[in-house]
Amino acid sequence: MASSAHTRPLSEVEIRVKALESLLVEKGLIDLAAVDALIDKYEHKVGPRNGARVVARAWVDPAYKARLLSHGTEAIAELGYTGMQGEDMVVVENTPEVHNVLVCTLCSCYPWPTLGLPPVWYKSAPYRSRVVIDPRGVLQEFGLQLPESTEVRVWDSTSEVRYMVLPERPPGTEHLSEDELAALVTRDAMIGVTKVSA
Amino acid sequence: MNGVHDLGGSDGHGPINPEPNEPVFHAEWEKRVFGMFLPVAACGYFNLDEFRHAIERMGAPSYLNTSYYEHWLHAFETLLVEKGALSAAELAARQQQIAEEAR
Amino acid sequence: MAITAAQALAASASDGGSTRLEVDVAPRFAAGDRIRTRNINPRGHTRLPLYLRNCVGVVAADLGVFVFPDTHAHGGDQKPQHVYSVHFSAKDVWGREGGERDTLVVDMWDDYMDPV
Repeated sequence: MASSAHTRPLSEVEIRVKALESLLVEKGLIDLAAVDALIDKYEHKVGPRNGARVVARAWVDPAYKARLLSHGTEAIAELGYTGMQGEDMVVVENTPEVHNVLVCTLCSCYPWPTLGLPPVWYKSAPYRSRVVIDPRGVLQEFGLQLPESTEVRVWDSTSEVRYMVLPERPPGTEHLSEDELAALVTRDAMIGVTKVSA
Repeated sequence: MNGVHDLGGSDGHGPINPEPNEPVFHAEWEKRVFGMFLPVAACGYFNLDEFRHAIERMGAPSYLNTSYYEHWLHAFETLLVEKGALSAAELAARQQQIAEEAR
Repeated sequence: MAITAAQALAASASDGGSTRLEVDVAPRFAAGDRIRTRNINPRGHTRLPLYLRNCVGVVAADLGVFVFPDTHAHGGDQKPQHVYSVHFSAKDVWGREGGERDTLVVDMWDDYMDPV
């Protein structure tokens, strides 16, 4: 029996990944240190806390909010969030009249610099198929009921522009600091499937 | 193409089922596939539009029954072979070798 | 030549992945224009979803000039053209099943639309 560093057999997909990675390394096409660095960055360093800081800044600073809504990429870069899958950003504001919700029906486009990598549900067939045709039903599944008078606006990301929702600031938060406000903001609220609660 | 990936408005895909406190990656192999994207793309064999289209070309049963990062893996394998970076034979041989070592 | 960890991290933080092109191409549409999306059914790659073919909408904004995926995915021809943010009413997209007040906003390349 061959010695092994693992305690169970490799699955087919694991075999395929190891085969591909080892061949690419042998051919000098990829450097494993680069692979490791990217995994570390997107697993640990980039995530929705970034977007939450953008939202909190917009809530406390009206001039920043105006820049964010008119020149999203530059305003988000002011806080240091730039790069892959966020090179062209547009931020859309939720109000009592308009509730925005985001999807990529064709694949999984998502604003990585502000929200990190998307959750499985966002990339999967049930959400992608239903939110464009029954957004209110989908929002109800996430616990959000909107009045009939609110327009639900679904943004389907077909281009390389990446969208992010600026959720409404919850009432009763006037006394909170910017950091305390950021702590309230969830990823799901920046996708638009929920609201921020205090 | 009018592939099954073009999901907007279609029915029968089941409940959304968000996973509470979902980890960024669900397995070590997913991390490797994710981490490989930029280094492989930087080699210049394909662009992002070709990458997406390779996933669209998986065919409906495969697309719907495999997970997200398996889609990426399929695209890498397909495009790197189509563009001549690897041969199908050497990929298969390496998979066989790894499978045998793992037994 | 394999990119190093430092190069990979720098690339991931840069806008090098942007497909925006600094090319002077005349737009066919402007904000406020009513459009109808084309009934195209290409065998190859497209970013015009099935559910939005042959659908009336209104251009909300010109987002600028970008690479055109339908050609870029097949041989790398960038075919630079304007991309627009286009508003559709749920009723126009889904008919009777569309929500009364609801809308969809979808980015459309110049080649996906005709004037109404």
